[in-house]
Amino acid sequence: MTSLYAPGADDIRQRLRPFGFFFEKTLKDLIKGIRSHNETPEKLDQFFTQVLSECRDEVNSPDLNSKTNAVLKLIYLEMYGFDMAWCNFHILEVMSSNKLQQKRVGYLAASQSFYKDSDILMLATNLLKKDLKYDGNNDVVKVGIALSGLSTIITPSLARDIADDLFTMLNSTRPYIRKKAITALFKVFLQYPEALRDNFDKFVSKLDDDDISVVSAAVSVICELSKKNPQPFIKLSPLLYEILVTIDNNWIIIRLLKLFTNLSQVEPKLRAKLLPKILELMNSTVATSVIYESVNCIVRGNMLENDDFETAVACLERLCTFCDSPDPNLRYISCILFYKIGKINTDFISRFDKLIIRLLSDVDVSIRSKAIELVEGIIDEDNLKAVVQTLMKQFVDEDMVILQTGNVVYERSKRIPIIIPENYKIKMINTIISICFVDNYSNVNDFEWYNALMMDLTMLCQDISDKTLGYKIGEQFRNLMIKVPSMREVTITNIIKLVSNDSINRQLSTILRECIWCLGEFSTFIENGDDLIKVMIGNSGYYSHDVQEVLILALVKIFSTWCNNVREDKDIEIKLILKKLIEFFDNLSYSSTFEVQERSVEVLEFLKLSGEALEKDSEGLPMLLSEVLPSFFNAYELAPIARGTQLNLAIGEDIDLETPFLTKEETDVLLDGQKTDSMSDLVSDTSMDEQAEPGFINDSDTSYEEKEPLNDSDNPFEVERKKERMTNPYYLGEENEEETHKSKDLLDLDEGNTAGGNPETIRLNKPDNTLNSLSVSTVEKDKKKKKGKKKKRVQVLSDQPVIEAAPKKKDAFQKLHGNQTALTPSKKDKINLRMHSQLENFDFSNFGPSSSAVNESLQEGKMREEDELELNRLEAKLNVQGEKNNLSDPEAVIIIKKKKKGRRTKSKTKIKPRADNSPGPNDLLRDHSSTDI
Amino acid sequence: MTQLKYLILVSRQGKIRLKKWYTAMSASEKAKIAKDLTPTILARKPKMCNIIEYSDHKVVYKRYASLFFIVGVTPDIDNELLTLEIIHRFVETMDTYFGNVCELDIIFNFNKVYDILNEMIMCDGSIAESSRKEVLHHVTVMDTMESNDNLERVLS
Repeated sequence: MTSLYAPGADDIRQRLRPFGFFFEKTLKDLIKGIRSHNETPEKLDQFFTQVLSECRDEVNSPDLNSKTNAVLKLIYLEMYGFDMAWCNFHILEVMSSNKLQQKRVGYLAASQSFYKDSDILMLATNLLKKDLKYDGNNDVVKVGIALSGLSTIITPSLARDIADDLFTMLNSTRPYIRKKAITALFKVFLQYPEALRDNFDKFVSKLDDDDISVVSAAVSVICELSKKNPQPFIKLSPLLYEILVTIDNNWIIIRLLKLFTNLSQVEPKLRAKLLPKILELMNSTVATSVIYESVNCIVRGNMLENDDFETAVACLERLCTFCDSPDPNLRYISCILFYKIGKINTDFISRFDKLIIRLLSDVDVSIRSKAIELVEGIIDEDNLKAVVQTLMKQFVDEDMVILQTGNVVYERSKRIPIIIPENYKIKMINTIISICFVDNYSNVNDFEWYNALMMDLTMLCQDISDKTLGYKIGEQFRNLMIKVPSMREVTITNIIKLVSNDSINRQLSTILRECIWCLGEFSTFIENGDDLIKVMIGNSGYYSHDVQEVLILALVKIFSTWCNNVREDKDIEIKLILKKLIEFFDNLSYSSTFEVQERSVEVLEFLKLSGEALEKDSEGLPMLLSEVLPSFFNAYELAPIARGTQLNLAIGEDIDLETPFLTKEETDVLLDGQKTDSMSDLVSDTSMDEQAEPGFINDSDTSYEEKEPLNDSDNPFEVERKKERMTNPYYLGEENEEETHKSKDLLDLDEGNTAGGNPETIRLNKPDNTLNSLSVSTVEKDKKKKKGKKKKRVQVLSDQPVIEAAPKKKDAFQKLHGNQTALTPSKKDKINLRMHSQLENFDFSNFGPSSSAVNESLQEGKMREEDELELNRLEAKLNVQGEKNNLSDPEAVIIIKKKKKGRRTKSKTKIKPRADNSPGPNDLLRDHSSTDI
Repeated sequence: MTQLKYLILVSRQGKIRLKKWYTAMSASEKAKIAKDLTPTILARKPKMCNIIEYSDHKVVYKRYASLFFIVGVTPDIDNELLTLEIIHRFVETMDTYFGNVCELDIIFNFNKVYDILNEMIMCDGSIAESSRKEVLHHVTVMDTMESNDNLERVLS
């Protein structure tokens, strides 16, 4: 069939020719033109500009026919990326035409370009009202078009006006109108929920309609509405269940299943009735999408309890057959469902390990990447190695993977290399690490293998751009060092290899921090510490600031161990190394990073003293080196502690961590006149903290004064801690850091130790530890030799905060982020719907016993509305300011506009009336800018 | 029932033949999606699955002859298999309407294709009419009325 427009437009041309109109192009001409001009991009561009300018002229012509034609061409050009919002008013004219043909084009154009343009929507409203006037049978199609167009154009006021008309249409004799009216009502309900409340029964009666497409539409609309607010529809469950049992149309069955998913989430009682029926449906149907939706309904509708193995097995067995199917889509979706079921209880999926390992080598990488998410659920001691091997192989064999493609005619296999994208590689590495780490390495029984694995991963990570992997592998090495004492020698050899490897230093410097820390902490395993020190100083060019922080103390530790263990006659070498260290630290003490500077200066002074002592004492080592230096680090051996332990330490209630030392004004003064004075360094550090968290400034004055007397309590611990805090400005910073970086799973204590350089802090914390019964247990070392592996088991603690301090922090956090959280719900709306929907928090209590939940949600809604009003008010204020500033200060306007854009979308509907009454030039401008977001 | 975000028809050469957006997006977002998805999907081999993840949502695509039908769907709400079914239904409907549809039909009669699409997928991509007969019937009714209009105009 050829286009009906082409001859029509030709006719126009013929009829207009006598009057001198020759230059109109039909849509066909346009398309042909594009095809004939596409030899070079320049030529095409030229053609486009020419056509566009023609359209611009034609659209302005008084003749509706040529206007329509131009609009049609513009719709086509829009696909090539040419914006057509500028001709919205012309589209409106076309829409208002009496000719169906033109009207249709107009509505099509409207649905393509009208989004978010509030001015044009307001004008369209009146037109739409006129078009929806349903008088007699001839208008069926016209009304149909208008009803379709409604979904783009609807606003709350329009919804209110036309709701009654639409309900009359529900009684139309024509199923087409009934169907269209139902779909249009969906949009109306979203904007004007009262319509649903008042006519609920009338609407629901359409579920019994004779025409299947009307029923289908009604089910769809209820399904959509239940997504937003399932409460009012729960009482329909018996009726819906009846339909589900009797109907045999798979499309409607799927819709009903979706609907029940929504209902079952809020009404658990439905489970008893539904579950058997759904299982039955699953077994009787042959349609895969129905099976998929059934499983989906069971899983997402909270119908699968975490001990209901029977149902789970029933679902999983169906999925298993999907996984074996040649259709990749089935394999993919069943992987996703597997994951959801595994999330309910990992025991459900644990016996499917063979299947999942097989899926890991699927030809399709996206299926692999879904399967990899399942791996954690099936891993155990026996299959760990196999899984890791499968994954590691994919790094190596990358190009060797062969895809068999059998063509029906030629029936031959083609070798197509599968390209493994980098994000999949990253996912693999992360998975390998996490499956080994799970349950404190309970699945790893061969740590030599694990050591080698980590070395391999390190090598692989060099070529991957995600450098955070380095941190993760570094952590693994650190865990190995601490938790597996028997492997320490092997591990440290590996670590030394890494630290002295040039390409690692260059490409994966993130791994170094943990590695270097290990070298320092376990320096007793290193014999030739002097060489290592030289290597590390030589490589120091690669190290970033956070590595340098660790490096400083690691070097001192290594030096301390080494110089106390070398033979007597190495005095000269000790002096040499000491000199090197002093030189190195001297450089670092000018570092731009406060932390590095602080640590290096601390160490530097001590080493200088030691150097002087070494010069004086020719007999053996001076006391400073043989006694004092080791005592810094060797007070007791480090044991692993559970993640988050430090957070559970009781924070003295009289310690105020939140109040800044200085008020805002004082800080400003200090920052302005920053001096080289050493004191100002100390202060500015705290003030920097304050700047980062401006929320704390509000309550500064009062609580700060309260804090003073409390701190003078007699508690010796507190006095000591306080002293520590006063003398060591780093202390505060460290503690803040711990709060945010929870990922540092252990050894936070040690960090505190090395940082303060003062072992007393740790001892102080230790009794606290036991007091809170947060015992850190270690397995006796003797046992380990028997198995040929050594492990320290760590008792994993619950995350619950033991002390009140944590909730307090939360409050502060909420205070800080209060604004953001208030905004989020509306953001969600924005994603779901083009316009702010009022259905979610609408009170349906008029037609039934009101449940408390609804009331609550209503109140919430009210609160939110109030917030919104407040926002609107603010915004209006901003607008006024913006307009004022417009005249004087262009920079200020930009800032205000940005703010507005963020909020604009949510309050759109409320602002509109004002914009419509007087669409002044400013308003127009603003609206356009917001549509461009 | 569904929550389609957009539907794009792309030719094997990467040319866009049809676009329909069901959610409000800025021009730059739209351009980015089209630009990102086209090469990703064109590069996918047969035998790979038709569902991919892209930014915050999923994309279901299906190739028919030289055309790729690309649909953005909402994860956890849309049934991917059903989306494939809808695409198939759409193609079937066009096939019946044009009679053995080919890419050129879609290029030259894109407004018809939009009409069919609008009859099939309503309310911003949230409701789909599954009956092919139904859709075709209404499109042809509208066509007849249009040609009546044409006739009237010529006669007048």
